[in-house]
Amino acid sequence: MEKINFNLLFDPLSLFFLGVIFIVCLPSAIYSIGYLKGEYSRAKIALAWILLLIFVLSMGLVVVVSNVLVFLVFWEIMSLVSYFLVVFDDKNEKSIQAGLIYIVMTHIGTAFLIAAFMIMYKSANSFDFLSIKNACQLMDGQTKNIVFLLLLVGFGTKAGIVPLHIWLPAAHPQAPSHISSIMSGVMIKTAIYGIIRFVIFILGVHSAWWGILVLILAVISCLVGVVYALMEHDLKRLLAYHSVENIGIILLGVGLAMFFLSLNMPYLSIFSLIAGLYHLVNHAIFKGLLFLCAGSVYKATGTRDMEKLGGLIKKMPQTALFFLIGAMAISALPPLNGFVSEWLTLQAFFLGAIKVSGAAKLFLAVCAAMLALTSGLAAACFVKAFGITFLAQPRSSFALNAKEVGFSMRLGMFILSTLTVVFGLAAVFVVRLLAKVCGCATGIDLNGMSFSLNNFILNPQPGTSAYLSPLMLTLTLVVLGGAGFVLYRIFNRKATIYNTWDCGYYKLGGRNEYTATAFSKPFRIAFSFFLLPYRKTQKIRESFYHVKSFAYETHTTPIFKKYIYDPTLDWVFKSAKFMRKIQPGSIHLYISYIFVALLLLIVFMQRF
Amino acid sequence: MQAMILFGVLVSTYLMVIAKRTPALIRSFRYQSFCLFLATLIIALQEHELDLYIIAGLLFVLKVVLIPYFLNRIIKRIKANENLGLLINPQLSLLWALGFTYLSWVFTRHFLAAAQLAGGSILAIAFFVVFAGIFLMIFRMTALAQIIGLLIMENGLFLVASAVSGGMPFFVEIAIFFDVFVSVLIMGFFVYRINKLFTHIDVNKLSRLKG
Repeated sequence: MEKINFNLLFDPLSLFFLGVIFIVCLPSAIYSIGYLKGEYSRAKIALAWILLLIFVLSMGLVVVVSNVLVFLVFWEIMSLVSYFLVVFDDKNEKSIQAGLIYIVMTHIGTAFLIAAFMIMYKSANSFDFLSIKNACQLMDGQTKNIVFLLLLVGFGTKAGIVPLHIWLPAAHPQAPSHISSIMSGVMIKTAIYGIIRFVIFILGVHSAWWGILVLILAVISCLVGVVYALMEHDLKRLLAYHSVENIGIILLGVGLAMFFLSLNMPYLSIFSLIAGLYHLVNHAIFKGLLFLCAGSVYKATGTRDMEKLGGLIKKMPQTALFFLIGAMAISALPPLNGFVSEWLTLQAFFLGAIKVSGAAKLFLAVCAAMLALTSGLAAACFVKAFGITFLAQPRSSFALNAKEVGFSMRLGMFILSTLTVVFGLAAVFVVRLLAKVCGCATGIDLNGMSFSLNNFILNPQPGTSAYLSPLMLTLTLVVLGGAGFVLYRIFNRKATIYNTWDCGYYKLGGRNEYTATAFSKPFRIAFSFFLLPYRKTQKIRESFYHVKSFAYETHTTPIFKKYIYDPTLDWVFKSAKFMRKIQPGSIHLYISYIFVALLLLIVFMQRF
Repeated sequence: MQAMILFGVLVSTYLMVIAKRTPALIRSFRYQSFCLFLATLIIALQEHELDLYIIAGLLFVLKVVLIPYFLNRIIKRIKANENLGLLINPQLSLLWALGFTYLSWVFTRHFLAAAQLAGGSILAIAFFVVFAGIFLMIFRMTALAQIIGLLIMENGLFLVASAVSGGMPFFVEIAIFFDVFVSVLIMGFFVYRINKLFTHIDVNKLSRLKG
C-alpha cells in the first residue's frame, strides 16, 4: 500500500475553479447575514455558518487535491454537508423528502466514481493524479471506454444532466437561498471540474464518440431543463431547472472540446473549452445572483409561488433591478456575460461545422440550432419569471405587504450583479485567462493561437469576419437607446396616464391578471408530445342549472419520474419485500445464517 | 497430561450440548474453563513465563469463578424457568455434536500439513468447541443460552489461538478477557431487563418485536 500524499495541486485549472468558488461564495455568505436573521433561532444560525464553512472548504479542497482517494473523501464531505443544508429546514416535510432523493442519487453517482477510480488504480498502482495520467496512456481502448462511461455517470449525477437530474429541482429549492445559490452556482460545477480533470486531463480523449455522447446528453439537458423551467411556477424550482439547462450549455462546450480533441484539432478544442468554461463562470455568477434574488423575494413575501406574487418592482425596486440583470444575463442578452459565452459556444459550433466533414457537419449544425432554441425558450421563461413576479399588481396579500430586504442581502446581490456586467464587458481578458486554463487542461501548446484582435475585440477565427466587442456593443446600445428616448420625448410631449381599458368592467384587480400558467400555455401545447399535459376538473352542482363551484387543475406528466424512476423504485421495493421473507425476526435463524455462511466459507476455502 | 485435559474439554462440551437446564450448562461451562485453566497453567509451569501465569490466573478468576457466579445469580434473581427450551432434544443434539466433531477433524486434516497432524487434535477440538457454541446459540431458546454459547465460542477461539500460534499476544489476551467479562455483565443486565419487560427470556418470542 502506498503512502497517501496530501499534496495540493495549484495548476491553472484548479485555480480557475477556486476562483469560481470564491466569487460566488463570498457574496452568498454576505447575503446570508441578513437572510438568516429572523428566519431561524440563534443556535441554528450558528449551525448554518459552520455548515457553510465546511461546505465551502470541502468544495475548495475537491478542486485542488492531487490524489484520487483524498478527492473522494472531500467529494463525499461536500455531498454530505450539502445534504445537511438541504434538510436544514427540518420541520418541512418537503425538505426531508428532497434531501432523501438527493442523498440517494449522489451516492449512486459516487458509487460509479469509485468503480472508475478502482479501475484507474488497478492500472496505475497509485492514487496520484500524475501517475494515473501516465498509466492511462498505456491503458487499452476498451478499459478506457468503460472508465469514461463510469466517470460520465458519476459526475453527471452530480452535475444534473438529464436523465440523472431528478434530484436537482427537488433539492436546490429546499435549501436556504444562499445555499441554493452556492449549490447551483458552484457545487454542480465541481462535477464539470471532475469531467475535465479526469476525462480530458487524466484519461485523455480516446475516440470521437465520447464527445458526441456528451454533446447529445448536453443538448437533451438543455432542452429538457428549459422546457420544464417554463412549466414551473415555483420561483426557485424554475431556477433549479435552469441549472439543468445551463449545465447542458456548459457541457456543449466541454463535449465539443472532447470531440475536436479526438479529431486532433487543437485550436478548435481550446476554443470550445474556453466557451464552456466561460459559460461555467458566467452561470455561477448569474445563477447565484438569481437564487439570491429569489431568496429575497421569499424573505419579503413568505412564498415562492409566482402566481401569488406580482407588483414587487414597486415594493422592492433594487431586488427587482438585480433580478432583471440576472434574467437578462441568463437569457443571453447583450452586453451581459451570458451573451458572450453563448455567442462563443455558437461560434465554436459554426467553426467546427465548417471544418469537419460528413455527417458530423450536420450533427454540429443541429446542436447549434438546439442551443439557439434553448436560448430563446430561456428568454421566454425569464420574461415570465420577471413579469409575473415583479410587474403588474400584487396577486395576493403576500406580495402586497412586501418590503425591500436588508442591506447585507442587497450588498450580496449587488456584488454579483456587478460581476455579471464586468464579465460581459471584460470578455477579452477573461478569454485570455481561460485560454491558459484550457491549455493546462488539454496539454496543448498555446503559442501561435490568438482569440482577440486587440484588447477590445474578440475574433475567434483570424481571417473570418466574426467579431465581437462587448464594449462597443454597450456603447452602441447606450447611444441608440438614449437617442430613442430623446426622440420619444420630443414627439410625445403629451402623455396621458389612465387605467387599463377593461371593456367597461371597472373592477380590474389582481385576479384578472395574466398568470404564469397562462403565459406558459403556448409552450405547454407546443411541447405537449413531451410534457403530456392533462387536466382535472371538478364541478359541484346544486342542480343541473346551477354550478356551485368549479375546480380546474392542469398538470404535466413528469415522464422521467414516471417511466424511469418509479419503475426502478417499484422493482427495488418488490425485491426488498421478497428479501424480508428470510428475515422473520428469529434470532436463532439469524445465528444459523451466520453459521451456515461460516461453513460455506470454510468449504469454499478448502473445497472439501 | 495434555491429552487428559483435552479429553476433559471435549467431554465438558458434550455435556453442555446435552444439558437440559441452565444450571447444568453453567456447571459444564465451569468444567470446560477449568480445563483450559489447567492447560495454561501447565504450559506456564513449563516455560516460567509471567504472562502465562497472569493469563491462567485471569482464566480462573473470570471464567471459572466470576462469570458462572454471575450467571447463576441472574437465574436466581429473575426466577425464570430453569429449562433451556430445547429446539432439538439431547439425543439428537449429541448426534449433531458428533457430526461436528468429525467435521472439525476433517477440516483440520485439510488445514494442517501431514507432519503436524500429531498436534492436530487440539485444533480439531478447538474448532469443535466453536461449532458447539454456535450450535447452542441456534438451538436453545433462552437468552441465557445465547450468552453461554458465546462464551463457549470464546473458549474455543482461545484454544484455536493457542493451538495455531501458541496463544495470542499478552495484551490482546487480557483485552479479550475484559471484553468477555464486560459483555457478560451487559448481556446479563439485558436479560434481566428483557425478563422484566416481557416476563420471559424466550428469544423465540422476540420475533413479535419485528415491524
